[in-house]
Amino acid sequence: METSSRAASRPLRYGSGLRTLSISTVVAMTVALALVFFYVPLEAEQGFLQKIFYVHVPLATVALCGFVLGGLLAIQYLRTRDPRWDMRSYVVIHMSLIFALGTLITGSIWAKGSWGHWWVWSEPTLVSFLIIFLLYATYQPLRFAIEDPERQARYASVFAITAGAFVPLNYVAVNESTAYVHPRVFSSASNLPASMSFTLLVSIVAIALLFATLCKYELTAKHTRSQVRALRRRLAGEELDAPRRARSAAPAVQHATAVSMRAAGRPGL
Amino acid sequence: MIATALGEVPALPLHTAGKYVAGAYIVLFALVLIYVAIMAIRLSRLERDLGELLSMSASSPEGEQAPEPTADMAEPAQDSHAESTPA
Repeated sequence: METSSRAASRPLRYGSGLRTLSISTVVAMTVALALVFFYVPLEAEQGFLQKIFYVHVPLATVALCGFVLGGLLAIQYLRTRDPRWDMRSYVVIHMSLIFALGTLITGSIWAKGSWGHWWVWSEPTLVSFLIIFLLYATYQPLRFAIEDPERQARYASVFAITAGAFVPLNYVAVNESTAYVHPRVFSSASNLPASMSFTLLVSIVAIALLFATLCKYELTAKHTRSQVRALRRRLAGEELDAPRRARSAAPAVQHATAVSMRAAGRPGL
Repeated sequence: MIATALGEVPALPLHTAGKYVAGAYIVLFALVLIYVAIMAIRLSRLERDLGELLSMSASSPEGEQAPEPTADMAEPAQDSHAESTPA
Protein backbone atom coordinates (compact mmCIF):
# COMPACT_ATOMS: atom_id res chain seq x y z
CA MET A 1 0.00 0.00 0.00
CA GLU A 2 2.97 2.29 0.69
CA THR A 3 4.18 1.70 -2.86
CA SER A 4 0.71 2.47 -4.13
CA SER A 5 0.43 5.77 -2.26
CA ARG A 6 3.94 6.78 -3.31
CA ALA A 7 3.14 6.04 -6.94
CA ALA A 8 -0.20 7.80 -6.71
CA SER A 9 1.40 10.90 -5.24
CA ARG A 10 3.26 11.58 -8.49
CA PRO A 11 1.39 14.10 -10.65
CA LEU A 12 -0.26 12.53 -13.69
CA ARG A 13 0.87 13.74 -17.10
CA TYR A 14 -0.60 11.51 -19.79
CA GLY A 15 -0.37 14.28 -22.39
CA SER A 16 3.40 14.66 -22.35
CA GLY A 17 5.00 13.46 -25.58
CA LEU A 18 1.64 13.25 -27.33
CA ARG A 19 2.64 15.67 -30.07
CA THR A 20 5.85 13.79 -30.89
CA LEU A 21 3.97 10.50 -30.90
CA SER A 22 1.26 11.89 -33.17
CA ILE A 23 3.78 13.27 -35.67
CA SER A 24 5.71 9.97 -35.64
CA THR A 25 2.47 8.10 -36.34
CA VAL A 26 1.54 10.31 -39.29
CA VAL A 27 5.05 9.97 -40.77
CA ALA A 28 5.14 6.19 -40.24
CA MET A 29 1.65 5.71 -41.72
CA THR A 30 2.55 7.81 -44.76
CA VAL A 31 5.79 5.89 -45.32
CA ALA A 32 4.00 2.56 -44.88
CA LEU A 33 1.28 3.44 -47.39
CA ALA A 34 3.87 4.73 -49.87
CA LEU A 35 5.85 1.50 -49.56
CA VAL A 36 2.73 -0.66 -49.92
CA PHE A 37 1.45 1.03 -53.07
CA PHE A 38 4.59 2.30 -54.79
CA TYR A 39 7.51 0.16 -53.68
CA VAL A 40 6.67 -3.43 -52.85
CA PRO A 41 6.15 -5.65 -55.93
CA LEU A 42 2.91 -7.48 -56.67
CA GLU A 43 2.71 -10.98 -55.27
CA ALA A 44 2.74 -13.69 -57.95
CA GLU A 45 -0.36 -15.68 -56.86
CA GLN A 46 -2.77 -13.12 -55.44
CA GLY A 47 -1.53 -10.03 -57.24
CA PHE A 48 -2.93 -6.71 -56.11
CA LEU A 49 -5.28 -8.37 -53.58
CA GLN A 50 -2.25 -9.25 -51.46
CA LYS A 51 -1.90 -5.54 -50.54
CA ILE A 52 -4.53 -6.22 -47.84
CA PHE A 53 -1.81 -8.27 -46.14
CA TYR A 54 -0.04 -5.02 -45.11
CA VAL A 55 -3.04 -3.72 -43.20
CA HIS A 56 -4.65 -6.97 -42.02
CA VAL A 57 -1.57 -8.62 -40.49
CA PRO A 58 -0.32 -5.51 -38.62
CA LEU A 59 -3.83 -4.89 -37.24
CA ALA A 60 -4.04 -8.49 -36.02
CA THR A 61 -0.51 -8.45 -34.58
CA VAL A 62 -1.03 -5.19 -32.71
CA ALA A 63 -4.48 -6.23 -31.44
CA LEU A 64 -3.20 -9.54 -30.07
CA CYS A 65 -0.13 -7.88 -28.51
CA GLY A 66 -2.46 -5.28 -27.02
CA PHE A 67 -4.57 -7.98 -25.38
CA VAL A 68 -1.44 -9.51 -23.85
CA LEU A 69 -0.23 -6.06 -22.76
CA GLY A 70 -3.60 -5.46 -21.11
CA GLY A 71 -3.04 -8.62 -19.06
CA LEU A 72 0.46 -7.49 -18.05
CA LEU A 73 -0.87 -4.09 -16.96
CA ALA A 74 -3.58 -5.85 -14.98
CA ILE A 75 -0.88 -7.86 -13.17
CA GLN A 76 0.78 -4.57 -12.30
CA TYR A 77 -2.54 -3.30 -10.92
CA LEU A 78 -2.97 -6.35 -8.71
CA ARG A 79 0.59 -5.93 -7.45
CA THR A 80 0.36 -2.21 -6.61
CA ARG A 81 -3.42 -1.54 -6.39
CA ASP A 82 -2.69 1.75 -8.10
CA PRO A 83 -5.84 2.66 -10.12
CA ARG A 84 -3.70 4.09 -12.91
CA TRP A 85 -2.62 0.59 -13.95
CA ASP A 86 -6.25 -0.49 -14.11
CA MET A 87 -6.99 2.54 -16.28
CA ARG A 88 -4.09 1.69 -18.60
CA SER A 89 -5.18 -1.93 -18.83
CA TYR A 90 -8.76 -0.84 -19.59
CA VAL A 91 -7.70 1.60 -22.32
CA VAL A 92 -5.28 -0.87 -23.96
CA ILE A 93 -7.90 -3.64 -24.04
CA HIS A 94 -10.54 -1.21 -25.30
CA MET A 95 -8.27 -0.08 -28.13
CA SER A 96 -7.20 -3.66 -28.94
CA LEU A 97 -10.85 -4.57 -29.31
CA ILE A 98 -11.29 -1.82 -31.91
CA PHE A 99 -8.18 -3.01 -33.76
CA ALA A 100 -9.48 -6.59 -33.56
CA LEU A 101 -12.72 -5.42 -35.16
CA GLY A 102 -10.64 -3.88 -37.94
CA THR A 103 -8.78 -7.18 -38.31
CA LEU A 104 -12.02 -9.11 -38.65
CA ILE A 105 -13.42 -6.74 -41.26
CA THR A 106 -10.24 -6.54 -43.35
CA GLY A 107 -9.81 -10.32 -43.06
CA SER A 108 -13.36 -10.83 -44.20
CA ILE A 109 -12.79 -8.57 -47.20
CA TRP A 110 -9.61 -10.50 -48.06
CA ALA A 111 -11.48 -13.80 -47.74
CA LYS A 112 -14.17 -12.54 -50.11
CA GLY A 113 -11.58 -11.49 -52.68
CA SER A 114 -9.51 -14.65 -52.28
CA TRP A 115 -12.09 -17.39 -51.64
CA GLY A 116 -15.31 -15.78 -52.79
CA HIS A 117 -16.86 -15.98 -49.30
CA TRP A 118 -17.05 -13.33 -46.59
CA TRP A 119 -16.62 -15.91 -43.85
CA VAL A 120 -15.52 -19.55 -43.71
CA TRP A 121 -16.50 -21.32 -40.49
CA SER A 122 -14.14 -24.25 -41.10
CA GLU A 123 -11.09 -22.01 -41.15
CA PRO A 124 -9.41 -22.13 -37.69
CA THR A 125 -7.63 -18.76 -37.92
CA LEU A 126 -10.83 -16.84 -38.58
CA VAL A 127 -12.89 -18.66 -35.98
CA SER A 128 -10.22 -18.52 -33.26
CA PHE A 129 -9.77 -14.80 -33.79
CA LEU A 130 -13.53 -14.36 -33.60
CA ILE A 131 -13.53 -16.29 -30.30
CA ILE A 132 -10.85 -13.96 -28.91
CA PHE A 133 -12.82 -10.95 -30.11
CA LEU A 134 -16.04 -12.20 -28.51
CA LEU A 135 -14.16 -13.06 -25.32
CA TYR A 136 -12.88 -9.52 -25.00
CA ALA A 137 -16.25 -8.11 -26.03
CA THR A 138 -17.50 -9.30 -22.62
CA TYR A 139 -14.85 -7.23 -20.81
CA GLN A 140 -16.84 -4.00 -20.78
CA PRO A 141 -20.16 -5.59 -19.73
CA LEU A 142 -18.26 -7.39 -16.96
CA ARG A 143 -16.92 -4.09 -15.67
CA PHE A 144 -20.30 -2.42 -15.99
CA ALA A 145 -21.96 -5.22 -14.01
CA ILE A 146 -19.85 -4.46 -10.92
CA GLU A 147 -20.68 -1.25 -9.10
CA ASP A 148 -17.95 -1.13 -6.47
CA PRO A 149 -14.90 0.44 -8.22
CA GLU A 150 -12.33 -1.57 -6.26
CA ARG A 151 -14.06 -4.88 -6.94
CA GLN A 152 -14.63 -3.86 -10.56
CA ALA A 153 -10.91 -3.21 -11.05
CA ARG A 154 -9.91 -6.44 -9.30
CA TYR A 155 -12.32 -8.69 -11.23
CA ALA A 156 -11.48 -6.97 -14.53
CA SER A 157 -7.77 -7.50 -13.85
CA VAL A 158 -8.29 -11.20 -13.22
CA PHE A 159 -10.26 -11.40 -16.46
CA ALA A 160 -7.56 -9.48 -18.38
CA ILE A 161 -4.81 -11.77 -17.08
CA THR A 162 -6.71 -14.98 -17.84
CA ALA A 163 -7.78 -13.86 -21.30
CA GLY A 164 -4.32 -12.41 -21.99
CA ALA A 165 -2.78 -15.82 -21.26
CA PHE A 166 -5.31 -17.42 -23.60
CA VAL A 167 -4.20 -15.29 -26.57
CA PRO A 168 -0.69 -16.78 -27.14
CA LEU A 169 -1.99 -20.28 -26.40
CA ASN A 170 -4.65 -19.81 -29.02
CA TYR A 171 -2.07 -18.50 -31.50
CA VAL A 172 0.11 -21.60 -31.04
CA ALA A 173 -2.91 -23.91 -31.34
CA VAL A 174 -4.03 -22.30 -34.58
CA ASN A 175 -0.54 -22.43 -36.06
CA GLU A 176 -0.49 -26.16 -35.39
CA SER A 177 -3.76 -26.59 -37.18
CA THR A 178 -3.49 -27.08 -40.93
CA ALA A 179 -6.95 -28.37 -41.72
CA TYR A 180 -7.69 -25.57 -44.13
CA VAL A 181 -5.42 -23.28 -46.09
CA HIS A 182 -5.72 -19.75 -44.77
CA PRO A 183 -4.84 -17.19 -47.45
CA ARG A 184 -1.37 -16.75 -46.05
CA VAL A 185 0.77 -15.57 -48.86
CA PHE A 186 3.82 -17.07 -47.27
CA SER A 187 4.02 -20.01 -44.94
CA SER A 188 6.47 -18.22 -42.65
CA ALA A 189 8.07 -14.82 -42.30
CA SER A 190 11.43 -16.25 -43.37
CA ASN A 191 10.02 -16.90 -46.86
CA LEU A 192 9.24 -13.24 -47.41
CA PRO A 193 11.34 -11.41 -49.99
CA ALA A 194 13.35 -8.57 -48.47
CA SER A 195 11.15 -5.82 -49.91
CA MET A 196 7.97 -7.44 -48.60
CA SER A 197 9.34 -8.17 -45.13
CA PHE A 198 10.64 -4.60 -44.88
CA THR A 199 7.26 -3.19 -45.91
CA LEU A 200 5.48 -5.49 -43.47
CA LEU A 201 7.81 -4.38 -40.68
CA VAL A 202 7.21 -0.69 -41.44
CA SER A 203 3.44 -1.35 -41.55
CA ILE A 204 3.55 -3.08 -38.17
CA VAL A 205 5.54 -0.18 -36.68
CA ALA A 206 3.07 2.33 -38.17
CA ILE A 207 0.01 0.49 -36.82
CA ALA A 208 1.72 0.03 -33.43
CA LEU A 209 2.43 3.77 -33.31
CA LEU A 210 -1.20 4.46 -34.21
CA PHE A 211 -2.27 2.15 -31.39
CA ALA A 212 0.06 3.88 -28.89
CA THR A 213 -1.11 7.33 -29.98
CA LEU A 214 -4.80 6.48 -29.69
CA CYS A 215 -4.21 4.90 -26.26
CA LYS A 216 -2.39 8.03 -25.11
CA TYR A 217 -5.16 10.25 -26.46
CA GLU A 218 -7.72 8.14 -24.63
CA LEU A 219 -5.78 8.21 -21.36
CA THR A 220 -5.25 11.97 -21.62
CA ALA A 221 -8.93 12.57 -22.38
CA LYS A 222 -10.11 10.40 -19.50
CA HIS A 223 -7.67 11.97 -17.08
CA THR A 224 -8.57 15.51 -18.16
CA ARG A 225 -12.27 14.77 -17.75
CA SER A 226 -11.58 13.31 -14.33
CA GLN A 227 -9.67 16.46 -13.36
CA VAL A 228 -12.54 18.65 -14.54
CA ARG A 229 -14.96 16.61 -12.44
CA ALA A 230 -12.67 16.90 -9.42
CA LEU A 231 -12.50 20.64 -9.95
CA ARG A 232 -16.27 20.83 -10.19
CA ARG A 233 -16.57 18.96 -6.90
CA ARG A 234 -14.08 21.27 -5.29
CA LEU A 235 -15.97 24.34 -6.43
CA ALA A 236 -19.22 22.75 -5.24
CA GLY A 237 -17.63 22.12 -1.84
CA GLU A 238 -17.76 18.32 -2.09
CA GLU A 239 -15.13 15.83 -0.97
CA LEU A 240 -12.83 14.71 -3.80
CA ASP A 241 -12.85 11.13 -2.54
CA ALA A 242 -16.66 10.96 -2.48
CA PRO A 243 -18.00 7.91 -4.34
CA ARG A 244 -19.08 8.45 -7.93
CA ARG A 245 -22.80 8.62 -8.59
CA ALA A 246 -23.26 6.98 -11.97
CA ARG A 247 -22.26 3.39 -12.69
CA SER A 248 -19.63 3.11 -15.40
CA ALA A 249 -17.50 0.46 -17.11
CA ALA A 250 -14.55 2.85 -17.09
CA PRO A 251 -12.19 2.66 -14.11
CA ALA A 252 -12.61 5.12 -11.27
CA VAL A 253 -9.70 7.51 -11.47
CA GLN A 254 -11.04 10.27 -9.25
CA HIS A 255 -9.10 8.90 -6.29
CA ALA A 256 -5.82 9.07 -8.19
CA THR A 257 -6.75 12.52 -9.44
CA ALA A 258 -7.55 13.68 -5.91
CA VAL A 259 -4.23 12.37 -4.62
CA SER A 260 -2.45 14.00 -7.53
CA MET A 261 -4.17 17.34 -6.88
CA ARG A 262 -3.25 17.17 -3.21
CA ALA A 263 0.35 16.39 -4.18
CA ALA A 264 0.31 19.48 -6.39
CA GLY A 265 -0.42 21.48 -3.25
CA ARG A 266 -3.79 22.93 -4.24
CA PRO A 267 -5.35 24.83 -1.32
CA GLY A 268 -8.57 23.61 0.20
CA LEU A 269 -8.21 20.03 -0.96
CA MET B 1 8.53 17.27 -60.96
CA ILE B 2 5.81 15.52 -58.97
CA ALA B 3 3.88 14.88 -62.17
CA THR B 4 6.99 13.30 -63.71
CA ALA B 5 7.51 11.13 -60.64
CA LEU B 6 3.86 10.04 -60.66
CA GLY B 7 4.09 9.37 -64.39
CA GLU B 8 6.76 6.78 -63.74
CA VAL B 9 4.64 5.02 -61.12
CA PRO B 10 2.78 2.04 -62.61
CA ALA B 11 -1.00 2.32 -62.66
CA LEU B 12 -2.78 0.42 -59.90
CA PRO B 13 -4.88 -2.51 -61.15
CA LEU B 14 -8.09 -1.18 -59.68
CA HIS B 15 -10.31 -3.04 -62.13
CA THR B 16 -9.83 -6.49 -60.50
CA ALA B 17 -9.00 -6.73 -56.81
CA GLY B 18 -8.92 -2.98 -56.37
CA LYS B 19 -12.32 -2.74 -54.72
CA TYR B 20 -11.34 -5.23 -52.03
CA VAL B 21 -8.02 -3.53 -51.33
CA ALA B 22 -9.69 -0.13 -51.29
CA GLY B 23 -12.36 -1.51 -48.95
CA ALA B 24 -9.76 -2.84 -46.49
CA TYR B 25 -7.86 0.46 -46.36
CA ILE B 26 -11.10 2.45 -46.11
CA VAL B 27 -11.99 0.35 -43.03
CA LEU B 28 -8.75 1.43 -41.36
CA PHE B 29 -9.33 5.03 -42.37
CA ALA B 30 -12.94 4.91 -41.16
CA LEU B 31 -11.93 3.51 -37.76
CA VAL B 32 -9.47 6.35 -37.24
CA LEU B 33 -11.99 8.90 -38.54
CA ILE B 34 -14.71 7.65 -36.19
CA TYR B 35 -12.29 7.85 -33.30
CA VAL B 36 -11.32 11.42 -34.23
CA ALA B 37 -15.02 12.34 -34.42
CA ILE B 38 -15.64 10.85 -30.96
CA MET B 39 -12.65 12.77 -29.60
CA ALA B 40 -14.01 15.96 -31.15
CA ILE B 41 -17.35 15.45 -29.38
CA ARG B 42 -15.55 14.81 -26.09
CA LEU B 43 -13.42 17.91 -26.56
CA SER B 44 -16.44 20.12 -27.15
CA ARG B 45 -18.08 18.64 -24.01
CA LEU B 46 -14.91 19.32 -22.06
CA GLU B 47 -14.83 22.88 -23.34
CA ARG B 48 -18.44 23.35 -22.21
CA ASP B 49 -17.63 21.91 -18.76
CA LEU B 50 -14.66 24.22 -18.40
CA GLY B 51 -16.88 27.17 -19.30
CA GLU B 52 -19.32 26.13 -16.56
CA LEU B 53 -16.45 25.80 -14.09
CA LEU B 54 -15.21 29.25 -14.98
CA SER B 55 -18.63 30.72 -14.32
CA MET B 56 -18.86 28.73 -11.05
CA SER B 57 -15.47 30.00 -9.91
CA ALA B 58 -16.44 33.55 -10.81
CA SER B 59 -19.62 33.33 -8.72
CA SER B 60 -17.97 31.57 -5.75
CA PRO B 61 -17.30 33.53 -2.48
CA GLU B 62 -13.57 33.56 -3.24
CA GLY B 63 -14.33 35.12 -6.59
CA GLU B 64 -16.51 37.77 -4.94
CA GLN B 65 -13.75 38.65 -2.48
CA ALA B 66 -11.22 39.04 -5.25
CA PRO B 67 -10.13 42.61 -6.01
CA GLU B 68 -11.68 44.45 -8.87
CA PRO B 69 -9.88 43.76 -12.15
CA THR B 70 -7.53 46.52 -13.15
CA ALA B 71 -6.48 47.59 -16.58
CA ASP B 72 -3.40 45.36 -16.62
CA MET B 73 -5.39 42.24 -15.58
CA ALA B 74 -6.46 41.13 -19.01
CA GLU B 75 -9.06 38.35 -19.21
CA PRO B 76 -9.67 37.72 -15.50
CA ALA B 77 -11.75 34.60 -16.27
CA GLN B 78 -8.79 32.88 -17.86
CA ASP B 79 -6.56 33.81 -14.93
CA SER B 80 -8.92 32.22 -12.41
CA HIS B 81 -9.08 29.08 -14.56
CA ALA B 82 -5.31 28.83 -14.65
CA GLU B 83 -5.16 29.02 -10.87
CA SER B 84 -7.76 26.36 -10.31
CA THR B 85 -6.48 23.88 -12.89
CA PRO B 86 -4.32 21.16 -11.35
CA ALA B 87 -0.80 20.71 -12.62
